[in-house]
Amino acid sequence: MTNVARTGQTLLIVASSMLFAAFTSAMVVRRATGTDWIAPSVPVWLWAAALLALSASWLVMRGLYRPAALCGFLLVASQIAYAASLRMGDVAQSFAAVLVTAHAAHALFGACALWWKGERASLFWHFAGALWLYVLWLIGVWA
Amino acid sequence: MQVAILIAALAGATVLLFVQPAWWLPEAISAHAKNYDSHLLLTLWVIGVLFVIAQALLAITVFRFRDRGQQPSAVEGNHKLELIWTTTTAVIFIGLAIAGQGIWAGVHLRSSADALKIEVLAKQFAWSYRYAGPDGAFARTDVKAIDDAGGNPFGVVGGDDIIAPILRVPAGRPVELLLKSRDVIHNFFVRELRIKQDVVPGMTIPLRFTADKPGAYEVPCSELCGLGHHQMRGTLVVMPPEEFDAWLREGAVR
Amino acid sequence: MTIFSTDHKVIGKQYIGLSLFAVLIGMALSLVMRYHLVHPDAKVRLFQMLWPDGAPGGQMTPELYLSLMTMHGTIMVFFVLTTAPQSGFGNYFLPLQIGAHDMAFPVLNMLSFWTTALSFLVLMAAFVVEGGAPLSGWTAYPPLSALGKIAGPGQGLGQDLWVLSIALFCVASLMAAINFIATIIELRAPGVGYFDMPLTAWAWFVTALISLFAFAVLLAGGILLLLDRVAGTSFFIPGGLVVSDQIQARSGGSPILFQHLFWFFGHPEVYIAILPGMGVISTVLSVFSGKKVFGYRAMAYALLAIGGLGFLVWGHHMFISGMSPYSSVAFSVLTLAIGVPSAIKTFNWIATLWGGRIRFTAAMLYALGFVSLFITGGVTGLVLGQPGLDLYFHDTYFVVAHFHLIMGVAAIFAIFAALHYWFPLLYGRFLNETLGKIHFYGTFIGVYAVFVPLHFAGIAGNPRRYPDFKEYEFLKSLMPLHVGVTHAAYSLAAIQLLFFFNYFWSQRKGKLADKNPWGAATREWTHD
Ligand code: HEM
Ligand SMILES: [Cu+2]
Ligand SMILES: [Cu+2]
Repeated sequence: MTNVARTGQTLLIVASSMLFAAFTSAMVVRRATGTDWIAPSVPVWLWAAALLALSASWLVMRGLYRPAALCGFLLVASQIAYAASLRMGDVAQSFAAVLVTAHAAHALFGACALWWKGERASLFWHFAGALWLYVLWLIGVWA
Repeated sequence: MQVAILIAALAGATVLLFVQPAWWLPEAISAHAKNYDSHLLLTLWVIGVLFVIAQALLAITVFRFRDRGQQPSAVEGNHKLELIWTTTTAVIFIGLAIAGQGIWAGVHLRSSADALKIEVLAKQFAWSYRYAGPDGAFARTDVKAIDDAGGNPFGVVGGDDIIAPILRVPAGRPVELLLKSRDVIHNFFVRELRIKQDVVPGMTIPLRFTADKPGAYEVPCSELCGLGHHQMRGTLVVMPPEEFDAWLREGAVR
Repeated sequence: MTIFSTDHKVIGKQYIGLSLFAVLIGMALSLVMRYHLVHPDAKVRLFQMLWPDGAPGGQMTPELYLSLMTMHGTIMVFFVLTTAPQSGFGNYFLPLQIGAHDMAFPVLNMLSFWTTALSFLVLMAAFVVEGGAPLSGWTAYPPLSALGKIAGPGQGLGQDLWVLSIALFCVASLMAAINFIATIIELRAPGVGYFDMPLTAWAWFVTALISLFAFAVLLAGGILLLLDRVAGTSFFIPGGLVVSDQIQARSGGSPILFQHLFWFFGHPEVYIAILPGMGVISTVLSVFSGKKVFGYRAMAYALLAIGGLGFLVWGHHMFISGMSPYSSVAFSVLTLAIGVPSAIKTFNWIATLWGGRIRFTAAMLYALGFVSLFITGGVTGLVLGQPGLDLYFHDTYFVVAHFHLIMGVAAIFAIFAALHYWFPLLYGRFLNETLGKIHFYGTFIGVYAVFVPLHFAGIAGNPRRYPDFKEYEFLKSLMPLHVGVTHAAYSLAAIQLLFFFNYFWSQRKGKLADKNPWGAATREWTHD
């Protein structure tokens, strides 16, 4: 990977991190100020989706970019299925929907990049994987 | 060169405008308002002096070093000088920030237990006020009981609260307003008291003052709340305490 | 020249063109507003033609005034001040100044321009949809901005388009920020270290860093706001609201949360608007006084300090909002602290001039005007930065005067200075100097005449965002002041025609420029 590509990806990662940091702080504040917080339920299969992200990262390290991208697409599909099941009238669920959908957008971008650009997109993919673990923790444990 | 003169002239005109008496603060009717004015004056003096020094320095420099064929100096910096003006401005700025905390604390960080509590309700585009009746407590409210036409904008259920469209307070006694909004953000502002507070739906925000001078004062809504924002005019009437007590008693009977 | 060019020079010019177009619209709106403020009952045929619903019979409604104000603020802040100084001049000159062949990601660069252009179109569309443009100001505070049509005309589709436009603008700005930073980190020519870069490059660098952190947060706020509007969520809408006599089925949202997200972006945004201008001014002052920038390193560090501290002071926009009064104390000390690097810059500009040989070119006049305006607009920040004093001045015309001077007009002066200075590189010709000087004098006097008196409206307690001043006794006595300001605004606008004439005329007929006509030392002039 060229330096320029690596720097660009790092900056993209910073911007994405800021986006999720903003969602997170909104969530922390909203939970503390409202009295209507009910923890969302996270189905087991969504936890299993974490395995998809991890295996994709593992495949990337093996140089198997297209299979990794396929894992990525599966992850996106499971995320969309979960987000679609949430009720926007409930605040904790609506935050979960925002976080999962925002992540799905990142994962889709990352998987497409893996498919077409291979190795050059690996850094971003690892970030997306770690970010997914964070999102799962946020909605499944913290909330 | 003309520009140096122009800079000086515009700065001078600005200063002149600031010493004219035509447009200035309205009368101050509380101890807080008087403190406010003296701290504002101090701040204006400080920034006025900084303003004049900086503009004069700029104008003089421009005038003095206009192109007359001289050789520009090769100076690229001067650490001592930079250190001096950095510390001077830092001391002045932070000093002002600290000196000004008193007036803020007086409104927001200190409370007196015997203050008269009045609930203020803002809605698009009107103000209503509620006083506890003889039982000394505010009655329960329910959004479903809201009836603007029937004189019940708060949705009060039962109790003996007094509801009024004008804010009346006794002169010389501490008052604590409890600000609430029914729809969007509004802002409660009394110029003569030098206090201003957003009224935020979903919150009850306290605002304390003691008005000393009887009279009627305008309350202009000061947070954009929709197309009637500029017409959301409230009125504060400061009454001699005896008159106020009589008014409250009369209101309770009705 | 292709439309979807990936050449940084073309893209830079496209950004500049977009902002010049936007500033014309923004200025026209401001004139309509100023007219209405002093003739609130006038019936104007033109208004009826432009806004049949907003001005029935030519009589402007309050909601039309408020929507013009919202659009004026949004256009000026986003599409003028965030667009020309950073993306416009930065795109064109940054690669030249650091010896790069182009920006790091040319295709991304093209995409960010066209996303910005799309965002502008979406915003303009708000004018023509049902209900018209939104009326909740460029700050779009919920619940007013979140409740939808029920909260007033323009709060329906118009406000949706506004949020969408801002979200697109965020994405475009993030792409641009990534491009700028990567270019500076990776593409500096051999031998060009960070501290060999001109201050303009430093300013674009710091501005891009600020954008990278700030716009991501605004994007988050915009997404949540849009969901409150269209998906029935309650991020910012509290429970138990009664709007237009209807009970709203929401619960628990926090209006202040949006303000935190907005101003976490919003305060840094004012630095995004002004830092590139500061860079230009440093350069122009140095070139036309024949001296090096005084305290170059201190200037670069001051830029970094302003950029960093800028993220810690957003609460000074919220002293009156109902947030904890204790946090106000902290925010105020930090706010006045950020005044220090700004003061350093002012002193260093004057010290740059000291001992020099000052050539009064048009570009130099604008730069000197900038310094004067920066002082005038800056000192009042010391009033507004104190929560105690903000108890009176918040949301009055004092604030309008303050931010127009320091952010609006100062940044516009930097744009004028930059155009006069770099025109020979942009078009191979000079802007006409005589016209430029006349325009400068008229504009300089004009902005003082428009904005200094507005402080006194603020001192008298005049709230901002009022479509007319008929309702209050104390506002009636201010009418002579407002009439004067409006007349000054007409003259100020008239003078701007001179600039636009000069700008287009000189592109074809201006005096031809030879290489490095100003005797500058930076690479964009000295290298081919
Ligand atoms: C031709 C010079 C200008 C004039 C006469 C002018 C006039 C006005 C007026 C009348 C308002 C509405 C005030 C109110 O009702 O509260 C306003 C608001 C505003 N202006 Fe300007 N303006 C000018 C230039 C600019 C520039 C260059 C900027 C760039 C920053 C700018 C940014 C804003 C903003 C951000 C607002 C606030 C909008 C809001 O409250 O949401 N203006 N201006
Ligand atoms: Cu209002
Ligand atoms: Cu700010």
